[in-house]
Parts: sequence; structure tokens; C-alpha cells
Amino acid sequence: MIGALARMPSTLRTFGSSQVSNLVGLLIVAGALVLTLQHVLQHSASFFFQILIIGIADGTIYGLIALGYTMVYGIIELINFAHGDVFTLGGYFSLALFPIFGIAEGKPGFGYVIPLLIVAAITMLLCGVVNVAIERVAYRPLRHAPRLAPLITAIGMSSILEGAMYLWRGPFSLHYPDLLPLTRFNIGPVNIGVKDLIVIAFAVILVVAFTLFINLSKLGKAMRATAQDRDAAQLMGIDIDRTISATFFIGAALAGAGGITWGLYISSVDPFLGFITGLIAFTAAVFGGIGNIPGAALGGLLIGLIRAFSDSYFDSSWTEVLIFGILIATLVFRPTGLLGMRVPEK
Amino acid sequence: MVRARGLAVLIIATFVAFACGGSSGGSGSKGEIDIASDLPTSGSDASSGLPTQEGANFAVTRAATVRGFTLKFVPFDDAVNGVHDPAHGVQNVQAMISNKLILGMVGPFNSNVAKAEIPVANAAPLAMMSPSNTNECLTVTYPYCQSADGFTAESLRPSTVNNYFRVAAPDTFQGPAMADFALKAAPAGLGITKIAVWDDEETFGTGVANNFAKEFAAKGGTVVDRKSYDPKAKSDFHDFLASAKANGAQGIYVGGTSATGACKARGQMAGLFNPDIYYLGPDGMGDAQCLTDSGSMATGNMYATQGVADATQNPSAATIVTAYKAAYPGASNIGAYTFAGYDCAAILIDAIGRAIDANGGNAPTRAQVITALGQTKSFQGLTGVITLNAAGDQTTPTLQFQQVQSGAWVFKSQFAVGGTS
Repeated sequence: MIGALARMPSTLRTFGSSQVSNLVGLLIVAGALVLTLQHVLQHSASFFFQILIIGIADGTIYGLIALGYTMVYGIIELINFAHGDVFTLGGYFSLALFPIFGIAEGKPGFGYVIPLLIVAAITMLLCGVVNVAIERVAYRPLRHAPRLAPLITAIGMSSILEGAMYLWRGPFSLHYPDLLPLTRFNIGPVNIGVKDLIVIAFAVILVVAFTLFINLSKLGKAMRATAQDRDAAQLMGIDIDRTISATFFIGAALAGAGGITWGLYISSVDPFLGFITGLIAFTAAVFGGIGNIPGAALGGLLIGLIRAFSDSYFDSSWTEVLIFGILIATLVFRPTGLLGMRVPEK
Repeated sequence: MVRARGLAVLIIATFVAFACGGSSGGSGSKGEIDIASDLPTSGSDASSGLPTQEGANFAVTRAATVRGFTLKFVPFDDAVNGVHDPAHGVQNVQAMISNKLILGMVGPFNSNVAKAEIPVANAAPLAMMSPSNTNECLTVTYPYCQSADGFTAESLRPSTVNNYFRVAAPDTFQGPAMADFALKAAPAGLGITKIAVWDDEETFGTGVANNFAKEFAAKGGTVVDRKSYDPKAKSDFHDFLASAKANGAQGIYVGGTSATGACKARGQMAGLFNPDIYYLGPDGMGDAQCLTDSGSMATGNMYATQGVADATQNPSAATIVTAYKAAYPGASNIGAYTFAGYDCAAILIDAIGRAIDANGGNAPTRAQVITALGQTKSFQGLTGVITLNAAGDQTTPTLQFQQVQSGAWVFKSQFAVGGTS
């Protein structure tokens, strides 16, 4: 698997876009949709919408994490396996910060909005610093080494972070306080939780803000330039090391925010949460087109929806088969992902 | 010079005094017999292993001697990095085997450790007496044991002579007992007719969940939703909960343990369900980690089964329980299996005593202790009157129901269940 991932860019090129394989891919998707529709019709509409909202909430958080994978891949062609654990670290940092800001379960209200946002900002900052340090220690010295070397150090960093969280707070899951309002309301037959809406809104705002930043800011421009052609960008006076550090920082800040949102949504965190969540987010990034920012957000959303619908309408044993089946099918039939790679050939 | 001679006299006098003291104290002792324990007593597992070890230690200390032999307690820890470790357990058993004074062990705590240890101890042979193992395949060979667990009771016992015994009720009883309890009308039961059943895709979890579902349906209830989750991948249970609610479940039975996230969904119920929604599970759920995961939903309508009786409900155990609490006053000194640990050590001492009698008052062999252990009948333990059968089980083990009250698992009721043949 590692070897296959390391060789992926060349695979992307050799397979290219064959019309036949696209058609086969589409047929598989269509078949899955028909099967889902059949199951959906057996249940009520209100249930459908409830699962839809859960899927969107999960999906936007996957999207937040997937952005970090896709940015780092776009700029240095590295799959940062430690990214999922930086996401978990977001949950752990915020959990440690809550008491300092007087945040505790049982008395949620508007008074918590400001402290919660401050905790989120500090957590994002801390996660960013950790990821920049990881890049400096484990990836930068290997930038010109064979592709496999930084991939292995990435897996190593992932284990180190998991071990650190294990030693810090123990092996079992920690309860994440219920801070969001538990109120639910009905629109027609649809029952909606305020908590779900806040989670979705928070994640969407971050994704949009980030997209604007990449498209409009000077640093965003530098990142895009570095992704397109590192040497040319350097010749144009762009500080490559600083741009790469900034990419790691921003990616980790988004993952950290994802960690808080996830904690608030599912009420628990554990040291190994990031491993599988990271893999799913990575799948989302590949699904949307690795290196492509709107693609990662879209991929995350779709994976979240697939997961929620598969878990509730089918057997959850199928969910992982489905999600990683999608990863394989995407790589085989549409290696550029749903939205394709915006980064041109190097 | 004078001072030196005085010192020499003093030293000789001291020696004589000690020698006399030693011989007068030792005149009644025929030698030393050791009882070992193998439990996870460090790291996160210590919360359950340590109070069990303290119970066993208390039994040995309290007895002090058996038929003129001095008793000594030798504890071993099978946890590595805070989690019970089968390979480390096997090392401990090998150390016990090489110590000729050890005639039996209390433990292990976990079924997978037992699976690794039984063959080694069986070959020696060394008597094992577990307070808490509940895997049914450890003692009885069911048709599914080989395929589901990778072993059978026979395959664990190369010598064909059984050396392993336990006091906890096997898993086969937990699911059906909770199903009966859930269906029965209040106050004897919960009066639930529609329930969602989940499992964690593990041998233990799937087994109890299937047994629960089968009994619940057979007795007239309806399983409205049946789901499995992969504990490594599933952390968001909102969709499962929405599905249970849409199907009209009055409660959820989770075949799982706290370690496989059985109670995470309880924490996510806040807002989606009323706090009085029922949440049921096996003994793996009845611990502090489950309450942590449940958060604000750790309310009264959570129930779990336990494989041993509650000693504090047994009037004839009151004296010893009080004495234990005086010796170990901390809240963390009493776990679900503390008094089962005590009983295991006490049963071993009783068996060693009978083996000494059978051996004409001399120290018995390990094989003689195993024979005597297998003949344990109507032993007055703290957790009940214990009779062991040839397979290694109690003839009538007890199941206990626990309920959450004010943030802690407390006794609800208990009853004897039919033993295995």
C-alpha cells in the first residue's frame, strides 16, 4: 500500500482519462445510487433528512481535515500521515484549555461563545505550531530524498503523536463536554438539532474563509505558485521554506478546528481517533482530486454522506468496504478525482 | 577491652534471644505454602485488577496458616503499558511453576489471558482459580468455540486433566438474563417491548448481543433495529441513534465493552432522546469508563449485568466485608471482583487444606491440590455458596444486575442461573 501511494503521481499520469473507464466508474456509482434509493424509499422522509444532516455534519468535518492533506500533497507531494493525529491533538489541546477559560459542562449558554472561540483560536495556533515543527524535523531534511523516506517518517510521526497523547491522558476515551445547545426543532417532517447546524456552519465558514484566503491573499498566491512549480516560484523571489511552513501551519489549524468540532459533536476523544478519521479524510481528498482544494471539501462532504447513509440504511460493516472501495475505484477509473487536479504537470 | 567483651556478650545474648524466639515461633509451622495471583495491577487496568488482588491478599493474610503450614501471598502483574497482556501472563505462570512453594494461583482477570495461560499451567500442572473470566469457551466446548475464538476447552488442556476453575458466570447467561429483565414488567423488570440491539463485531460482544436478541424475541419482545459497529472506525453514533429512534426503540442493548466504545453512543444521546431512555449492556459496560463516556446521560436507566454476586448483599459475609473495609478503606479498594478474588483465594486454601489431610498431613503435590479443588462442594464464600463442577464452573453461578445511580454503578438485584453441564 505504501509503495503504491508513493508511486501514485506516476500512476495518475499513466492511466490518464480513458472514456471507457470513466463509463465503468459511472455505472458503478449509478448502481450504488439505485440500491440506496430502494432502501431510502422503505423508510420515512423525516428519517432521510435526519441522516442527511448527520452526513453533512460529518462530511464538513472530514472536509476540514481533507484540506490539510490536499494542500500538503499539492505543494510537496507528500501524504502527511501525521495529519489525522494533529486533528486528534486539536481535541486534546482544547480539552486541556477548557478549565483555564472556565468552560465546563452543564451550563451551556451564550456566555461560552467568546471563551469557546478563544479556545478554538489557541488550539488552532498550537496545532499549527506542532505541524510546522513536524515538517521542520521530519520532512524538510528529506525533501530531496526518495519519495518513500518522508512517507515513512510521516507514519512514524503519526505513531509518535498517538503515543504522546496516550502517555498524556491514558489509553481510554475522554469525555468531551456537551457545550452546544441540545435544542431540536421541526421544519415540516424534518427534525433538526441546533448542535448539528452549529457544527455545519462552523466548518463551512472555515472552508470558505480558507478558500478565499488561498485565492485572494499574497501568501495564498505564493502557495499556489509553489505548488505549480517550486523552482520557478523560487526564481520569482518566493521563500519556498516559509511558504511550505505556512501550508503546514494552515492545514494543521484547520485540522485543529476539526478536532474541536468533532469533539463537540460526538462528545468524546481518544488517542487513536485520528488514525481512521485521517484515513477517511485522506480518501475524501483523493476522491475530490488530491491537490484540489474545492475537491477536498466536496470529497469530504460526499464521504460523510456515504458513511451516514451506509451506516443507517445498510450494515455498518459495509461502510468501510464502500469508502475504501471508492478510494480504489477513484484511483483506477478517475485518478484525477472528481474535480481533477488543478496543479498542472511538473 | 572490657567494653569490647561487653559488646560480645550483648551480641551473643541477642543471638540466643532471636534463636529462641525463632524456634518457639516455628515450632508450630511445618513449612511455607505460597498462593500466587496473576492480575493486571498497573496502569489503566489497575482500577479493576488491583482491588481484586487486594481481596485475594486479604483472604491469605486472614487465614495466615493452613494445617500448620504458613501461608504467603505472591502477587504477579500481567499488565504491559497498563493493559493486560497474554504473553506477559504466560511468563508469570512460568515463574510460578518454577517456584515449588506455589501450589495454586488466583487469576487471571481477562479471558484472553486465560486462553494463553491455561495450556502452560495445565502441563505443569498448576491450579488456576479465576475470579472474573466469563468467556464460556474456557470451560465448555460449544460448537462455535473453535471457529469464533480459535480454541476449545479441550485444546487448552493438553494433559486432559482440568486444572482451571472460576467463580464468575459464563457469558452464555448474560444476554438472556438481561433480555428477561428488560421484558418483565416493572418493578421486577423494565417493561420494554421494543429494543434496538447493537454489537461491537467482537467475539464477546456479538455473542451476548445475539443471545440477548434471541431471548428477547422468543419471550415476545421485538428487536426493532439490529446493528454492528467497528469500534476502531465508528465514533459518531448519531446515525445509529436516529435509526433506533425512527424504529421506535424504547431502549438500546449494546453487546460491547467500555474499551470498545459501548457507552460513547450514550453520551451522544443527549438531546436526541429523553434522559430516561434505557441503555443496557453486559459486564464489560459496568465500569467507570462507561460513566465517563456517557457524560450527562449517565442516568438511572442504564443497566449492566455482572458475572458475580454482590458480597455486600450476603448477611453471612458481613463480618469479613467489614474487616476488609477497615483494612482497605479507600473507595478504589473495592472493585466488582474484590470479593470474588477473596473467594478464589479462600477456595484454594480450603482445597490445599483438604489435600494436606489426604496426604497424611504432609505438603501436597500440585496435582493433589487440583484434585481437591475439583471436589469443592458447598463452600461458604462471600459471593455465595460455591460448588465447582468437573469443567471448572460453578454449578449455580450468580448474575447480578447493576444500575447507575448518582454517577455510580450500584446493586439492583441478583439471582442464581443454571450451571453448565
